[in-house]
Amino acid sequence: MDTKTKDCKELLTEVIDTGLCTLCGACAGGCPYLVSYKGRIVLLDNCTLSEGQCYEYCPRTYTDMDAISQQVFGVPYSEDELGTTKEVLIARSTDAQITERAQYGGAVTTLLSLALAEGFIDSAIMTRTSDDKTPIAFLAQNAAEVLQGAGSNYMACPVLQSYNHLPKDSNHSLAIVAMPCQALALTKMKKEPPQNRPSIDNVKLVIGLFCTWALSPDGFHQFLRENLDLPQVKKFDIPPPPANRFDAYTSSGTISFPLEQIRKFTMPTCAYCLDMTSEFSDISVGSVEGIEGWNTVIIRTDVGAKLMEMAKAKGKLETDNLPPQNLAHLKEAALLKKKRALKEIVKRSGDKNNLLYVGLSPNLADKLLA
Amino acid sequence: MASIDIDAPGTSQLFIGNEAIARGALEAGIGFAAAYPGTPSSEIMGSLASIAKKMGIYAEWSINEKVAMEAAAGASFAGIRALASMKQNGVNVISDFLANLVMTGIGKAGLVLVSCDDPSAISSSNEQDTRPLAKWLDIPLVEPGSFQEAKDMTKWLFDLAEEIGTICILRSVTRIAHARGNVKLGKLPKKEQKAYFDQIHDLRNLMPTKFMTVPSALRHAFAHLKLDKARETFESSPFNYYLGPDKAELLIITCGSCWLYSQDAVKALKVEDKVGILKLGTLWPLPEKLIEEHLNKSRNILFVEEIDPFLERSVMEMVANLPEGSRRPTFYGKRSGHMNAYGELNPDLVIKAIASILSVGYQPRDIEYAKKAEETAKSYVPERMMTFCAGCPHRATFWAVKNALKLDGRDGLVTGDIGCYAMALGPAGFFQVRTMHCMGAGTGVASGLGKLGQFGFDQPVLAVVGDSTFYHATIPALINGIYNQSNFVLMILDNNATAMTGFQPHPGTGMTAMGEPTKVVSMEALCRSLGVHVEICDPFDLENSTETLLKMIADGSGPRVVIMRRECELVRGRKEKPPYKVHIDPDKCIGEACGCDSLCTRVFHCPGLIWDKKTGKSKIDEVICTGCGVCADICPQGAIIKEAA
Amino acid sequence: MTTKQLVKDPLNLIITGVGGQGNVMISLVIGNALVRGGYLVTIGETYGASQRGGPVMSHVRISKETQYSPFIPDGHADIILGMEPVETLRMIGQFGNPDIVTIINPRPIYSIDATGSQAEYPDLDKLMETIKELSAKTWIVSATEEAQKMGNPIFANVVLIGAIVGSGVLPLDEKSLEPVLRETFPKEVEANMAAFHKGVELVRQ
Repeated sequence: MDTKTKDCKELLTEVIDTGLCTLCGACAGGCPYLVSYKGRIVLLDNCTLSEGQCYEYCPRTYTDMDAISQQVFGVPYSEDELGTTKEVLIARSTDAQITERAQYGGAVTTLLSLALAEGFIDSAIMTRTSDDKTPIAFLAQNAAEVLQGAGSNYMACPVLQSYNHLPKDSNHSLAIVAMPCQALALTKMKKEPPQNRPSIDNVKLVIGLFCTWALSPDGFHQFLRENLDLPQVKKFDIPPPPANRFDAYTSSGTISFPLEQIRKFTMPTCAYCLDMTSEFSDISVGSVEGIEGWNTVIIRTDVGAKLMEMAKAKGKLETDNLPPQNLAHLKEAALLKKKRALKEIVKRSGDKNNLLYVGLSPNLADKLLA
Repeated sequence: MASIDIDAPGTSQLFIGNEAIARGALEAGIGFAAAYPGTPSSEIMGSLASIAKKMGIYAEWSINEKVAMEAAAGASFAGIRALASMKQNGVNVISDFLANLVMTGIGKAGLVLVSCDDPSAISSSNEQDTRPLAKWLDIPLVEPGSFQEAKDMTKWLFDLAEEIGTICILRSVTRIAHARGNVKLGKLPKKEQKAYFDQIHDLRNLMPTKFMTVPSALRHAFAHLKLDKARETFESSPFNYYLGPDKAELLIITCGSCWLYSQDAVKALKVEDKVGILKLGTLWPLPEKLIEEHLNKSRNILFVEEIDPFLERSVMEMVANLPEGSRRPTFYGKRSGHMNAYGELNPDLVIKAIASILSVGYQPRDIEYAKKAEETAKSYVPERMMTFCAGCPHRATFWAVKNALKLDGRDGLVTGDIGCYAMALGPAGFFQVRTMHCMGAGTGVASGLGKLGQFGFDQPVLAVVGDSTFYHATIPALINGIYNQSNFVLMILDNNATAMTGFQPHPGTGMTAMGEPTKVVSMEALCRSLGVHVEICDPFDLENSTETLLKMIADGSGPRVVIMRRECELVRGRKEKPPYKVHIDPDKCIGEACGCDSLCTRVFHCPGLIWDKKTGKSKIDEVICTGCGVCADICPQGAIIKEAA
Repeated sequence: MTTKQLVKDPLNLIITGVGGQGNVMISLVIGNALVRGGYLVTIGETYGASQRGGPVMSHVRISKETQYSPFIPDGHADIILGMEPVETLRMIGQFGNPDIVTIINPRPIYSIDATGSQAEYPDLDKLMETIKELSAKTWIVSATEEAQKMGNPIFANVVLIGAIVGSGVLPLDEKSLEPVLRETFPKEVEANMAAFHKGVELVRQ
């Protein structure tokens, strides 16, 4: 595997034009050449630099998993299906205003509001659903704004572009709500701090979301437009298995689609993604199979642990143990995603020893490919 | 310095060729002049228009050359001497009218067409010779070989046109039109002119109808008779003459600017005793007897003429017709490769040809000196790139176009046209323009592309056109697009001037050639009256322009119009002060680093921005910067700062 | 008025500079003065590609006998009036010969190459030395400096007109220029006359 940093043209030929791009936004908005527009990363002009930060931070260019794990956790990349963890639990908000709008337990909204209130952060980069139902990234600076971001949107959104767009000399203390690919990109940035972008030290907290796949904004939005009266839609949901459907909650009732119909719009890159539980964040949050209204929460770092403690102490979050069956299922699903991804990667590279962007220890690679 | 209407007969003035032509027309007593701007002809109308009112004549910038020629013909039909002037491409545009005018003949008053060719296409889309057109359409054509001749021939040509009853052409080239030389002035006429369309038939036109082309075959025969008459006159014209020995080793047959080059060449080689020059001023029909006479002077004939081997082939045709046993000289010229068949000529090229034919050595200067001089001078300063002026709205427009097409992502293309904005073929306009032909072609080509949907074509098409070009030639193509339901966006760059040729007014500017205010023909009102959706943007508002273009491109039905409206900076700059004072904060400028890579100097290419290699940062050239402030909006680091002036 | 015989016929003068310096105006003033002096004058102009900042050269052919072409053949220049040092050297490279005389304003104008970078400018002293070596005689006239003293760099053109007239290389004297200057600059006659005479003075020092 080629491990050196390259230029934006190679980013295009290796990632963007080959269906590997996750639309994380790490490459966009940091320079005048790469921007994101309607679900695509567009190169507006040729850059002549032979090494670019666009290539360096991309979560789909070569990533030494051990090295970046050291950066965040101080240990090599965990062989555990869920990655490096301190604690796994379930939680839900005690604030009715939050749970009303939340997708599941409102844990993300609660944690962010708390972090803001305590002055631990002064803003959060997150997504909210715009009027036409596409996700849009924004900078939330108080609890009310954070609440606007509650609820899931299943389409990919270049959230990290918003980080790049902040003034170079800004000294916000930031939280970022990230998909697994975005958390990975942020970790690469922590390892090689960006030049001419806002300081990565400003990022105090990364809350990662569980993800099995994301939908392409372009194709899926067209599907939504053709099949729904969008202004009437209040919320989307993909309930956990065995439901196998995509729900759109409207003012006149719920409209459901078979999941296979929606799966068509999965971004091709998701087939090559190993990370289901956002392994490189401070706190990862997802749903709980079979238990409505709660979140599965994985604490990974000291920062995450401290915030969770505070949330519990101040009575903002109600918590409980994740039932062993759920934990087993979660691990199984996470492992399955890793194995499937590696299998697809090897199929694509044609060589068991070429894992494209994934730099794993041979030991772990063999285990997962077995 | 002197205006062309200076009343000082017998004195010598320093005129450019075009001024000399204009003066010749004045001395001929013209009353009517019409033209469309075109380098290198524009100064003819420019200088006539500036003194028209004073001199009691009428001069107009017409909407295009076709109308200019037709309007001038109208004046001739009504007994007023008239002139139409244009560049070589204009002659293409009027060719259908010319072909028919030759059949109908002209009125009692002389009608002259002046065509200025641009060898090497220094300021043109193509390189083209007007002279073969005269042969093709049976029109007498002359070419001046000096500035004095430019005046004298123009004056005389009106007499000739009246004598034989047909339009006559004076052909010139850039190096006469735009160069300056001595012109001895003649008298200016002081008679009143009365226009009247005489309904009684003219006895010179043998058919009892006026200005009709039928019966065409017969009128064609009459056109040939007129040429015969012209030929007779040409045989003894003072514009044809010979300089050189009775018997020469080489005879040069030449015309126009090439006569001047040939003289220079013969003098430089010091072969005045070996080489004779037959300078022709009356080129079509050929003065065959005169030429035949001079062919006897030498076995070797070299043709020196700009662009096409017109004289070369015409003389060869003539020689082929000579009686059995006549001497056949050896011909040198473009056919033999001694003169280049493309690109403009100059004295050194003629020197080379003569030296090669006569096997004469030539050393203009000491060899050691030459080596030293050439080596030290070589690549001291690299070529500067062609670009839009500082502050030009087109730069901002094409920036928005580039971004919009890239963001749109469907491989959209731009069809181009004629004007300053044609430079968008290159780095000046970020290589956006993909086609360039003639006036109005961009929209015509777009109209065709916009109908290819049934063949799977789905690339957005953007036709770009200037304001003057819009009136000149674009309207029929736009109407075609509406009528045939073609999908394209027409982007009109309205900088309120015919800029490339010298800021002449046009129907959208509200001003005539003679400086009189007039009705504005509103382009947006015109387009809207055709039922077309029109958006008007300020190109300096990059965000809005890009957004608007994206929207217009995305909606794919029928023609849509976007007008990018902002006055030409050179025109604005003469009237007003710069709107902003612009400077670059060196602390914020990151230069070549990742996050910029010298965007402003390397990609944007405004000449007001300079890259300082020593400091690794950009800076503003205060002499050149016009304070438009657009660069401040593209700097990714906010290092370019604009402050209201 | 009798028209003097020229030391060489034709006399070939190149005026060279950079767009925006006003060398077309110089050729016009000199040209008009010469025409009034009874000479046949042809002036040809060639522009480099840009509006501003590209090289501009005027070829002036002066003759008592014939109207010459607007192009001076390579190697046939007699006088070079250079408003800018690199452009002067460029002209010498193509049109110079051991007999040329040069009058030069030693003020560099930096050019921009195709990448938007300031092109390397050669060492000015070395450049001037080379020009002197390649000329039979050289006058260095700091026209821009003088013009700046007068309050506007645009007067440099008129200073140079004074210099070339004062040098005697052209069949012109101060008297023949005065009416032409008055007609060309009806609004700022005194200032321009002063600039002209300054040029004459500088070249005779």
